[in-house]
Amino acid sequence: MSKVSKRQIVFERTAVLVITVLFLLPVLWLITTAYKPSNQIFSIPPKLGFQPTLDQFRGILSYFDVVSLLRSSVVISLGTTVLSLLLGVPAGYALARSRSRYANFFAYFFLAIRMVPAIAALIPFYLMMRDIGLLGSWWAVIIINTMLNCAFVTWMMFSYFRALPRDMEEAALTDGCTQIGAFLKVAVPAVRSGIIACVLFCVMFSWNDFLYPMFLTTLDSKPISVALLTAYGTKDVTWGSLGALAHFSTIPIVLMALFLNRYFVQGATNGVQ
Amino acid sequence: MSRSFSDRRRFFLFFMAAPAVLYVLAVGVWPLAQGIWYSFFNYNLLRPARTKFVGLGNYVEIFSDRSARQAIANTFQFTIASVSLQLIFGFGLALLLWRDSRFNRIALAFLLVPATITPLVVGLIFKALLGADYGLVGYFLADAGIGPRTGFLTDAGTALWVLILIDCWEWTPLMALILLAGLKSLPNDVLEAGRTDGATALQRFTLLILPLMLPSIFLALMLRMMDAFRVFDSVFVTTGGGPNDATNTLMVLAVKEGLQFFNVGYASAIGNITMLFIAVMAAVLLLVVRGADVRINGK
Repeated sequence: MSKVSKRQIVFERTAVLVITVLFLLPVLWLITTAYKPSNQIFSIPPKLGFQPTLDQFRGILSYFDVVSLLRSSVVISLGTTVLSLLLGVPAGYALARSRSRYANFFAYFFLAIRMVPAIAALIPFYLMMRDIGLLGSWWAVIIINTMLNCAFVTWMMFSYFRALPRDMEEAALTDGCTQIGAFLKVAVPAVRSGIIACVLFCVMFSWNDFLYPMFLTTLDSKPISVALLTAYGTKDVTWGSLGALAHFSTIPIVLMALFLNRYFVQGATNGVQ
Repeated sequence: MSRSFSDRRRFFLFFMAAPAVLYVLAVGVWPLAQGIWYSFFNYNLLRPARTKFVGLGNYVEIFSDRSARQAIANTFQFTIASVSLQLIFGFGLALLLWRDSRFNRIALAFLLVPATITPLVVGLIFKALLGADYGLVGYFLADAGIGPRTGFLTDAGTALWVLILIDCWEWTPLMALILLAGLKSLPNDVLEAGRTDGATALQRFTLLILPLMLPSIFLALMLRMMDAFRVFDSVFVTTGGGPNDATNTLMVLAVKEGLQFFNVGYASAIGNITMLFIAVMAAVLLLVVRGADVRINGK
């Protein structure tokens, strides 16, 4: 390694620190808003100091059934994630191991599906769900989210499995291991980190999405993202209570991403190698 | 390929892939095909009896309607501006984070927070911050005479640029992350050789790093371009396409037409046009990067 001047490292770190703080300031503002009394959120001119209060949270809990909103979000995200992995991981494996000419085509077909604009499929899908009577249920959202996410998982797992040497599985197969055994006991454990990255992306996507649930769920099946949107714009909900509600929608996902950050990085970059 | 690829293996792999393929065909491709079919009709859900075949009529209308043309222009401006800004800032950030240290790893984890926050909430944060009469940022800028008195998001001249900056806030770190992975996989000996040959930092960057980074740059541009072109959440929440169509994008227009006015035929046509634009832009990007690769790296 070449030597690097101390001054350069100090410069780099200061720059990184300043940029990080700048990026986090808006988030900090949102968090603090939730603890301000309503009359102090928008004073003119705006003030930085305030007396912390939990009034906003009390307000939010009286307008919204937060437990039910969170339950919908959790059911939709978990349902989507489990189904997407059950469909996508085996398919990614099959495409990576297949010697067919069409394997690559199918892998990129899955990626292309993920890139389709939501609206193009949403209207026909909406009519489809109306006709089979699933409109308004969690299932409608889970079914369409699973389509998009299993396409993405397939593509991601395709690149993970392709990077995995075949030797170990082939050894297991010649040792008398069944095909499914070689897949479950040898290949899957080896791409553990890729699977965790997929889980993270699926949960993040279905937790944050509001376009599908907005049109596919009803009052008692709507997730927290839709509640945020409907809350905004009604008279009795202020920026403060929105901030409080946003706590419930953002903190679980941000914590998850911070804890699993290593996999987030891997997942976002595995296409590069 | 010494071992024969047995039929048993082939069947096993086929049945592993089949459920996902069938699922995507049934839930994804079938509605998409229906969407293409609908786009040839004047079809409104509220008046299904008056459905009429209009051929390419919906597509003609998109290009002749002033508001739809504006949405196309806005979508392109948004995509090109936000993706190029993100490339420049993201590359700078990736270079700053290149040295592997605990400090940089922790900073990166926090930098990715904007990308994990619900896009809806992101829009709301900036809408509140930028309000000219009460927002923490908007008020002082307006007071200092920078920007319109009505606030940046409600002024037709600035609103789209504000949305572009919001997009940059949310996604520049992700762009940096993808480019950082590219930087870390660069061959060390080549960079070392450049250094011992006495190349300046700028020469090393333009002659060594940049050409070697082309695949990562391509991937990052492609992913971000496709997402930016489909922008919906942040626009829908902050401006709803206004003021006066100034921030209307193709997705916002399609959602309004399809799910608020139930103009299914027209909305489907907009969705299809969007897909077509994305495919064309992806192809152009591919050709440009290929061309650059041949020019810089030779054959």
